[in-house]
Amino acid sequence: MSHKSKSDLRLIGKSQRKIEGLAKSTGRAVYTDDLAFPGMLHGKILRSPHPHARILSVDVSKAEALPGVHAVVTGADMPVPYGIIPWTPDEYPLCVDRVRYIGDGVAAVAAVDEDTALAALELIDVEYEELPAFFDPVDAVEADGSTPFIHDAKKPGWNGNVTKKVKLEFGDVEELMDSSAVVVEDDYFFEGTTHTPIEPHCAIGMWEPDVVDGAGHGGAGTVVGGSIAAEGAIEGSSIVRGSPPGARNAAASADGQTATASPAKASAKPGPGGPAAPPGAEATNRGKLTVWSATQVPHYLHRELSRVLDVDSARVRVIQPLVGGAFGGKSEPFDLEFCVGALAMKTGRPVKILYTREEVFYAHRGRHPFHMRYRTGCDQEGKLQSVDAKILLDGGAYASFGLVTTYYSGQLLCAPYAIPAYRFDSTRVYTNKPACGPKRGHGSVQPRFAFEVQLDRLAERVGLDPIEFRRRNFIGEHTRTINELRITSNGFLECLEAVERASGWSKKFRAMPFGRGIGVAGSTYISGTNYPIYPNEMPQSAVQMQIDRSGRVAVFSGASEIGQGCDTLVAQIAAEELGIPIDYVRVLRGDTDFTPVDLGAYSSRVTFMLGNAAIDAARKLRKLVIDAVADHWEVKSGEVLLAGGYALWVPDTSRQMPVREAFNLAEARHGALGATGSYNTPKDVHGEYRGGTIGASPAYSFTAHVAEVEVDPDTGVVHVKSIWVAHDCGRALNPILVEGQMEGSAYMGFGEALMEQQIYKDADHGRAGLHDAPSLLDYRIPTALDTPELESLIVESIDPEGPYGAKEAGEGPLHPSIPAIANAIYDAVGVRMTRLPFSAPSVWRGLNVARENGTLGKPAAPSRQGVEV
Amino acid sequence: MAGTTEVVRLNVNGDTREVGVPTHYTLLETLRYVLALTGSKQGCDKGDCGACTVLLDGVPTLSCITPVWEAEGKSVTTVEGLAGPSGPHPLQDEFDLNGAAQCGFCTPGILCSAAALLERTGTPTRDEIKEALAGNLCRCTGYTKIYDAIEAAAERMSAAG
Amino acid sequence: MLRLPPFRYHRPESVGQAVGLLGEHEGDVMLVAGGTDLVPNMKHRLFEPGHLVALKGLSELGGIREEGADLRIGAAETLSAVAASPTVRRLFPSLADAAGHVAGPQLRNAGTLGGNVCLDTRCTYYNQTEFWRNALGYCLKKDGTVCHVTRVGKKCVAAHSADTPPVLMTLGATLVLTGPDGTRDVPIRDFFVADGIANTRRLPNEILVEIRIPLAAAGRRAAYAKLRQRKSIDFPLLTVAVAADVDADGVVRGIDGVVTALGSRPRELTGWADLSEGRTLDDDLIDELADRAHKQCHPLENIIVDPEWRRAMVPVFVRRALEKVRAA
Ligand SMILES: Cc1cc2nc3c(=O)[nH]c(=O)nc-3n(C[C@H](O)[C@H](O)[C@H](O)COP(=O)(O)OP(=O)(O)OC[C@H]3O[C@@H](n4cnc5c(N)ncnc54)[C@H](O)[C@@H]3O)c2cc1C
Ligand code: SF4
Ligand code: FES
Ligand code: FES
Repeated sequence: MSHKSKSDLRLIGKSQRKIEGLAKSTGRAVYTDDLAFPGMLHGKILRSPHPHARILSVDVSKAEALPGVHAVVTGADMPVPYGIIPWTPDEYPLCVDRVRYIGDGVAAVAAVDEDTALAALELIDVEYEELPAFFDPVDAVEADGSTPFIHDAKKPGWNGNVTKKVKLEFGDVEELMDSSAVVVEDDYFFEGTTHTPIEPHCAIGMWEPDVVDGAGHGGAGTVVGGSIAAEGAIEGSSIVRGSPPGARNAAASADGQTATASPAKASAKPGPGGPAAPPGAEATNRGKLTVWSATQVPHYLHRELSRVLDVDSARVRVIQPLVGGAFGGKSEPFDLEFCVGALAMKTGRPVKILYTREEVFYAHRGRHPFHMRYRTGCDQEGKLQSVDAKILLDGGAYASFGLVTTYYSGQLLCAPYAIPAYRFDSTRVYTNKPACGPKRGHGSVQPRFAFEVQLDRLAERVGLDPIEFRRRNFIGEHTRTINELRITSNGFLECLEAVERASGWSKKFRAMPFGRGIGVAGSTYISGTNYPIYPNEMPQSAVQMQIDRSGRVAVFSGASEIGQGCDTLVAQIAAEELGIPIDYVRVLRGDTDFTPVDLGAYSSRVTFMLGNAAIDAARKLRKLVIDAVADHWEVKSGEVLLAGGYALWVPDTSRQMPVREAFNLAEARHGALGATGSYNTPKDVHGEYRGGTIGASPAYSFTAHVAEVEVDPDTGVVHVKSIWVAHDCGRALNPILVEGQMEGSAYMGFGEALMEQQIYKDADHGRAGLHDAPSLLDYRIPTALDTPELESLIVESIDPEGPYGAKEAGEGPLHPSIPAIANAIYDAVGVRMTRLPFSAPSVWRGLNVARENGTLGKPAAPSRQGVEV
Repeated sequence: MAGTTEVVRLNVNGDTREVGVPTHYTLLETLRYVLALTGSKQGCDKGDCGACTVLLDGVPTLSCITPVWEAEGKSVTTVEGLAGPSGPHPLQDEFDLNGAAQCGFCTPGILCSAAALLERTGTPTRDEIKEALAGNLCRCTGYTKIYDAIEAAAERMSAAG
Repeated sequence: MLRLPPFRYHRPESVGQAVGLLGEHEGDVMLVAGGTDLVPNMKHRLFEPGHLVALKGLSELGGIREEGADLRIGAAETLSAVAASPTVRRLFPSLADAAGHVAGPQLRNAGTLGGNVCLDTRCTYYNQTEFWRNALGYCLKKDGTVCHVTRVGKKCVAAHSADTPPVLMTLGATLVLTGPDGTRDVPIRDFFVADGIANTRRLPNEILVEIRIPLAAAGRRAAYAKLRQRKSIDFPLLTVAVAADVDADGVVRGIDGVVTALGSRPRELTGWADLSEGRTLDDDLIDELADRAHKQCHPLENIIVDPEWRRAMVPVFVRRALEKVRAA
């Protein structure tokens, strides 16, 4: 794809208001919990108080009998395993026969209000048989099977506590390690952390069963009344009924039998006399299911709802209202989404479940704790030779994205530095704690921390300034990494230079008084995974655009707006390409009934993929319009331009017409104006080995950070004064949003560096496996007073394949925060922090050790003379 | 379970509203689920995050831990009440212009804290802004753009007199 | 949502009425001022009173004024009001400082000085949801039979975690309590007891009406230092209040130090007077005082932060507070 130069672009590359910006700042923006429907019930989920136990029995009869309770579902109602990765379906919407962490869901209730639902939970009797549990990943990996594994072993004799093992080697690691002039080796520990979006997860389910004689679609065809269904109207024929006592479980029967009372029972074959399934719809539950959810993956949720609740996927609708932050924490289906569906099916009433903040901590899927050992060698000149990593990932109770995490723990390390030989050996294990998953910078933030600290040590050993050291190892652009991933544009050197200059590095490094320090780190990240989660050849992202006679353009986008601004992006692209003001674009979004599939807001794929899809659609339309105008003017198509609300004749721009007229000309000529656009990834960018597709991306972003800190030698308190963030995002399509992503990333990394930890009590502290403190008071995220000054420095490398040259900016800029702070602490006081977080007590302990060893103090400035080996 | 229901008389964004509420409702629950003023958000429901901040007689208050009865006899201003008939409050506009609302979930609470600050002082320093926001967590922005927006709004308001 | 248990909310018009309501609903009633401690605790089902008696609107509980030999602060004055009051800042800057460092801004706007003095103790095994405490098996302080901190004995050692009482103690404040039998004065020094379950001498039917600080104490040089993880919102991991009478030559004539967030009541540091009598607050004396504080303080794991470190921070923060006093 060829790119226009900046001067040819009118809207792209300039900061734009977000299309939903004022709705957000005036309180009009609608999030899931802001919705209410007539007759809506409220659900609550009963959770396991045990970290590992067999469920012997669940008795819901007393709960069902409580006035105000409309339905109760348990694991037996939805005994279909699921998992975001199709190869590792190991969890159920509600536990069927075993609970695996404190907080695992066991049963769910729908009642007239939350208080009643809560009271009903207390009336559910669950009989458990407690099992020995695993909390330490080392215990889990060494388990011999004498006590039950957390999951069944995949093959006899295997350890059922292991989710995934990956061992890959590129180049001759041992030989190059041996010939290295300097080798450093250390253990590192990255504590688990979690996303804590401010919006807790929320979902609403609605079920419209087929009328008794309706053999499928006729009865429940839906007319969408308004523009955005998320605004709250119930459309189509309403099936909401009161629930006469005694009959409440029988409401909404699709086939005249009360079997729909339980989706699981209903998943048996349709009973005799039941309606014949329409072609292609094998599902047993006949009706239309709508789920509103604060999810960042509506498409995957759509698939799993259909499969697990056994409803024809053509008749499952997922609506995604605005999402109040996600960061990876809403990127797979959660128990509440299945439960609202099942409860709606059982009651015939809309059902809402809103997690409490505590439940958000149990849902988790945050950063895995990593136990890492790194060995890294370089030559006399500071050129990297060999890297050897061994990693144990503490996965929690379920696989989640763990298969990918295990690969990412190694695969994403091979840039921005050239590494001649590299090996990683990663094992992810289950433990009886909430499941870990993808958090901003999925799988690669932890190794990046360890590795960038190793680089700092190597630089010191060879007497080089750490920025110079990184420069020397730059991998270059348009190249392949040692693990065969294709790199296109690469602005890493510019990033280094930008942070070096902005931070005043040369005057500060090793030059500030004891207690004050500065550190640097670099990183890379993917602009989307090259392959979708389930294998298919279809596009990863698509949009549909439609031109109205008024001059307005409607864009149907299935991309997930989680605050990053993707709705604004497609509006900007439509306006840019069609020459209209941005407020002539309406974005109709987040509804699987009418928006084309976008795979979701994960792996930093949205700008790159959605952007390319939007360009594709817009240019198809532009061509139709330009051709019509050219014909009308009897000029060449190449001479017609759409810009600023006009169609212009380039040789003499006084010849022009309002773009609306141009649209009308085109419509008269071609018929109604609409186009779809899509994007799929190039298929030749990965490595030719098993696993070589994981980590492959159409383009990579690059980042460098410099952090400046003050360390209080008496208390261990680290005060991060400033972080300079330079990020190569290809082209900044909307610079203010790019900066927002950079600052937000650096902020989140800073929080992880200093204070965040998702941890659990042990047997000596109350009860093993119990979340340490599931609240926003005790899980500390930085306040305004804690947060350093953040300065973002955009670097634009203009990628050949990105939309207008853009790459990702949402996750990459998090990575270097943590090692940059670690390296700055070292510069300040001479203490190497190898375990996260760098909380005051742990820095204080580090200071004490250094004091005893006599190593406390300002480290020596780089000599560049000779190598101290 | 539902407890007793009684009538509460509130003055919200200038309107007097009399509604029946269960006696154990918080102000936030009443605003969101009884009065359908869903602008105020809930992030923790126990005083830890600031998302539910509203103004009680102009004073930033956490509505999630305020029993609804404490709002009787006071004026309640929510994010919906900051805008005037002629358009959004300068803060609301500047939040949009400066990219200060990413996911927007902390925004209503932060706007209330910021509006109270600008009532107190027309020319807040950055440190004063940080102090005023120190009870509002934002997970998206790193706060920087929020400071920019508040400073820009302050300037605009003082220029307008 | 995190639901509140059901209750009726009473808004009495006088302290007398409030005391009456306490009597009327005895055993099933609690006082609420700002509610910033009580409401979260009720959401955690630590308290489920059927009746709440509101104190916020009572004029008898308001006001900050100099009267007689005292500064009188109404118990329902908010922490924001105390922190911002020109009178408090002039006379007792360490109190303004402490009040201004409680929680975060919105919580200080609602939270009161009286509520801060009467704050429930805190513990990592206690300030949790009903679900969490059930999974734990509860504890002595609420619904259970064991203490997970000491693991032996029948005593709760939950931490006194309020910021202002240590300062009020160093200033010699007196609490005015009103109950059915009238009003009594309790020096704040005698108010707290070492019992994490109920750590004050306030009777259930008594209302804290006023906090009186002798104006004579305005002559003391006082300071306050707080350790917490974040610069806002967080409860103290350690709070140190010190006050000294220093004569014109810089000689110490009297000195008090109080440390809290360790055990169930604020700890008055002992042995300071004899150490400092007749000496100036030089580095040596500060070190000796800090060392003495260190020996007396033994943090427990009632707060989830490294107790060894917290202990080591005692002398550091005592030193910092004393340095502020010296500079005052
Ligand atoms: C996130 C968060 C952070 C916090 N951080 C801190 C902190 O850093 N430092 C700190 O000290 N506190 C902190 N708090 C606790 C609380 O906000 C303050 O202590 C506040 O001063 C309590 O006052 P209140 O008026 O809100 O008390 P309430 O919640 O109204 O009452 C607290 C208790 O005192 C009783 N009570 C209140 N007033 C009276 C009276 N006049 N007579 C008799 N009994 C009375 C109540 O019955 C109740 O038992 C925090 C709270 C939260 C939610
Ligand atoms: S100190 Fe012991 S008894 Fe008291 S709250 Fe904590 S665990 Fe419970
Ligand atoms: S929702 Fe009120 S403070 Fe978090
Ligand atoms: S904008 Fe998302 S939490 Fe602040």
